Amino acid sequence: MSESPYWNPRHETMPREGIEALQLRKLRNLVAWTQAKVPWQAKRLKAAGVDADSIRSLDDLRRIPMMTRDEWMGAQLEEPPFGPLLAAPQEVAMRYHLTSGTTGRIPLQVLDGMKDWEWITEMWCYGFWGFGVRPQDVVFFAFSYGTFVGFWGAHYACEKIGCLVLPGGNMTTEARVKQILGMKATVVCSTPTYALRMAQEAKALGVDLASSPVKRLILSGEPAGSIPATKKLIEDQWGAKAADTAGMTEVGTIMIFECEKQPGGTHIIEDHYIEEVVDPATGAPVPYGELGERLITSFGRGFIPVLRYRTRDLVVRMPASACSCGRTFDLYEGGIRGRVDDMKLVRGTNVYPRAVEAIVREFREVDEFRIHLFTADGIQDEIEVLVEIPDASADANAIVNRLRTSLSEAHEGLRFGVKKVESGSLPRFELKAKRLQDDRIVIGTAGERRVQG
Amino acid sequence: MKNSMGVELTESERVLMECYQNLVKVLQRDDLAPFERRNALKAVAALWQIANGLDLDPGQLYHIGA
Repeated sequence: MSESPYWNPRHETMPREGIEALQLRKLRNLVAWTQAKVPWQAKRLKAAGVDADSIRSLDDLRRIPMMTRDEWMGAQLEEPPFGPLLAAPQEVAMRYHLTSGTTGRIPLQVLDGMKDWEWITEMWCYGFWGFGVRPQDVVFFAFSYGTFVGFWGAHYACEKIGCLVLPGGNMTTEARVKQILGMKATVVCSTPTYALRMAQEAKALGVDLASSPVKRLILSGEPAGSIPATKKLIEDQWGAKAADTAGMTEVGTIMIFECEKQPGGTHIIEDHYIEEVVDPATGAPVPYGELGERLITSFGRGFIPVLRYRTRDLVVRMPASACSCGRTFDLYEGGIRGRVDDMKLVRGTNVYPRAVEAIVREFREVDEFRIHLFTADGIQDEIEVLVEIPDASADANAIVNRLRTSLSEAHEGLRFGVKKVESGSLPRFELKAKRLQDDRIVIGTAGERRVQG
Repeated sequence: MKNSMGVELTESERVLMECYQNLVKVLQRDDLAPFERRNALKAVAALWQIANGLDLDPGQLYHIGA
């Protein structure tokens, strides 16, 4: 039997009506489990008039109330540490993780049982296998192995596949680059930002990464893995193909992955999730091709059932036919486009950090950057982009001027300040990069004064 | 043996499902030594993924400790 390009060939190539039948059956089971085991959720379902028997088609999904992160956090505060959300006793759990803390006041805390943890690794297997990772690969993880779930599941997925796994926690960037080369790693896993950081380090060490055995990069943790200019920069510097993936602690693992065909988007693992795309303001569904917010329903982790969770992630859904890989799983074109709450209003113009990064990355001489929002003269908000241009032979003034013009043209003529700063002065990141600093005390030209403190 | 989608399992898939069902059964007994129980739990957690991927609707395993 020839090797399948799919982790689960039956599901990944199932006709749409089969996927929907499977999702409907799993949805009924999930609602029944939730009703029986999580009184806090059962109360919400009952108030909405929903029970397992009343789920007759996928349209009935929309009768289930959406759940927000604020509600989850509130429940945790009410009954620390996990809130009234657990469907099984804590004694059965064998993993504890929490969110990375980039959004929200307090991190969300989650538990997994053995079967859940295996499922978490299973989702990563869809991604790794789908991008061509095989047992003979040597996989390096540039990951700190803390309480943030990050690449934990990916590590165990690669063990399951049978790869030789190199756990690169607690190492300097230099030591990581040296181990990647010394152990002849063929696959490297990191955030997009850190992939660039390692490439910088390799350059400083006089190493040509493009001639190394690394053939694949698996990126996660930031939207940049699907920003074409950033991805191209990473691929060129490493001489390797890069695949975007995205996951969330709330479900414990990834829900989307890019396949070997690299269609410019990420497949949704539709046999384990129902993903909806809605208007973030009204909650109404949006059609294929339109930007909206992801809602997720997960059939995986049974410990904390997740039904119609508002992710705040912005996506554009496309039919499976947009990719030639043969999977029948739909895609998110461009991966995660950003977050609903990422958008900044600057003198009446919407600014998305991802869009700024897409432009900055077209300027190959720029090594690192930061977006800085501040209030000028106590009344007006301003935006500036700080850039590092380490190459002394580059015409920095010309680059700064061209970048300023490009940013302004892409933002309805909005005035951007662009400043060259000393090389190495901007922060570097291993996990999720935080390149936006908002120091404004006034939002908008005649906007509200931000509450200080 | 057919799955929840009405698809007949192959002979290999049937064997795997028998392993899974036997493990679930044996893990409900109380005469297992620690090394037997804990290794069987790891195995059943892995085989659950196959049952789930084959649309056998395996439910949850918390009651047996997985």
